[in-house]
Amino acid sequence: MSDKTILYVEDNEFNRKIVRQLLSQTRYRLREAPDGESGVRAAQEELPDLILMDVQLPKMSGLDATRQLRADPRTARVPIIIVTSYALSGDEQKARDAGATAYIAKPYSPRDLLSKIREIVPEA
Amino acid sequence: MRLDRTDPLAAMLLRSPLGALVDWAARLRASVQRKLLVAFLLIALLFIGMGASTLLTMRTMSRQSELLDRAHLRLEWSQEIHHSLAMQMHLTAMALLVRDEAAIGSILRENNRFNESLARLEEAVEEPERVVIQKVRAAQEEAMAVVADIANLVRDSKIDAATRLHSSREDPLYRSIDALVSQMVQQENARMVGLRNGLRAARERSLAVLGAFAAVSVLLALAGGFVISWMLIRPLSAAHGLLNELSSGRFGGTVKVPNNDELGELAVQLSATSRELARLDAEQRRAAQELAALNAKLQQASVAKSEFLANMSHELRTPLNAILGFTEMLSDELYGPMPAEFREPLADIQTNGRHLLRLINDVLDLSKIEAGRMELSLGEYSAEEIVNTVRASLRSLAEEKALEFRVELDPGLPEIMLGDAKRITQCLLNLTGNALKFTKRGRVTIRAARQSDFVHYSVADTGIGIPPEQLDAVFTEFRQLDSTITREFGGTGLGLSITKKFVEMHGGRIWVESRVNEGSTFHFTIPLKSEMASTV
Repeated sequence: MSDKTILYVEDNEFNRKIVRQLLSQTRYRLREAPDGESGVRAAQEELPDLILMDVQLPKMSGLDATRQLRADPRTARVPIIIVTSYALSGDEQKARDAGATAYIAKPYSPRDLLSKIREIVPEA
Repeated sequence: MRLDRTDPLAAMLLRSPLGALVDWAARLRASVQRKLLVAFLLIALLFIGMGASTLLTMRTMSRQSELLDRAHLRLEWSQEIHHSLAMQMHLTAMALLVRDEAAIGSILRENNRFNESLARLEEAVEEPERVVIQKVRAAQEEAMAVVADIANLVRDSKIDAATRLHSSREDPLYRSIDALVSQMVQQENARMVGLRNGLRAARERSLAVLGAFAAVSVLLALAGGFVISWMLIRPLSAAHGLLNELSSGRFGGTVKVPNNDELGELAVQLSATSRELARLDAEQRRAAQELAALNAKLQQASVAKSEFLANMSHELRTPLNAILGFTEMLSDELYGPMPAEFREPLADIQTNGRHLLRLINDVLDLSKIEAGRMELSLGEYSAEEIVNTVRASLRSLAEEKALEFRVELDPGLPEIMLGDAKRITQCLLNLTGNALKFTKRGRVTIRAARQSDFVHYSVADTGIGIPPEQLDAVFTEFRQLDSTITREFGGTGLGLSITKKFVEMHGGRIWVESRVNEGSTFHFTIPLKSEMASTV
């Protein structure tokens, strides 16, 4: 069985680096996209096993991107973890409404994030 | 009576020349009192004039009827004279016929009567008639002389001579007297008829004059009354109209009345008042507008500030996320084994990073609350769960400080309540965190109990306490009792103020009881079923 692919849509390079280094110790394969539009494109080009989606993104918000992916039959069933921001109240509800499988509040602990990923998509 | 309504008759009269008279009376430069006095005097004078003319007419009439009475008398007397003349003639003829002296005596008596009447008449008549009377008297005296001669002849029995004398002298004399007297009688009669006719004409004339005078007086009095009342009513009605406008909030109207009296002054003052009111009103409106504009600007500025803070704290959180993330991965030895001497500084980085995060979160909460953008997300929750969550997250801190950490739950608490569990947890976490922070030894107790329709949470500690004069200030932003406390105990200074706002958003109440060096107890209540309260 091939390694699971995780698509991380996040504009901040350091946050991407954290996840990159976090997953480098695991068998997960990481793909990255810096904005909502390219995130949707990347997911459609090569179906990932899980998508980690930030909310505040350039070009297209993470919520809009999630809705688009859910509307597309090819990507409709991919699990999506939305990284909600503490800043906006009701984000959790919005994340669910957009079709998120789960959410994790930012700032997140890398340890917690990894266990959440493993819960949804087992490593092997 | 409604002053602002003029009945149609008065309106019509006001358009007539009478209206001009009202204007004229109003324009007269005199006090209202004087105008009223003059008007009433004029009306009184009219009636006095009417009375006087009536009296005059009555006097004229009574004089005329007196004249008529006298004319009557004169006529009577003239007729008496005529009668006694006829008697004399008759008696003379009788004396001649019966040749008796006694008849002569009767003639003399008759003569006396004749003379008496003549004398009375003479006194009553005017000069031209007196001449006739004197002629009559002269003729009568001559006739009497002849009668005396006839009497002597009769006494001497010279009847023929007497008869001759009678026919030649006395008879013609009597005839001439008779003619004169008849003329007098006719004259008196004619004069009396004239007088009577004159009197009748005069009576009719004076009746007409009196009637006309009375009618004119009444009309003049009515007109005077009309003029004087409308001279008063018009300015009063105008003032009433303006006052109505003023009382309904329409300022700036003026009244224009022709009056040059107190009412005119009143109108001028009223107009000035109205203009002043309009000026003040406009000023006030302008001020209110300016204030509203300023207020809107301030509100915009406040919202902008809160939005800036919200954005800023979000921007701050992104790098902080990276800092905390890398630190955690370092301490989790994701990058390889950690030298022992790195552990402590790494733990310090984490502690300070988390503190910074809490600060940022608190600032964000507060700015959202102030911008009115904080909303409760209401749902079902249990107070027991909240208390247990708080206990679980702070247990390690209490253990570190070797503090007794107790929870007392009222068994009467409902299992399910309605509220924002996340925010209520935050409130209790804040208070309990503070209690643990400010207590060096002893215990911290969390209690939750039902109190009618509220849950009453309290957190009691045996810490440093709060001086009474500072109790009111503890819920104010950025207030800690002094800065050394911040350094010694940590904390953002925002927790209590945020807690208070969340409690109030739920419709609850927060308060504190404290004694220095004995400890503090913070209380707050949350309705069993919270509704969305308006933003605090």
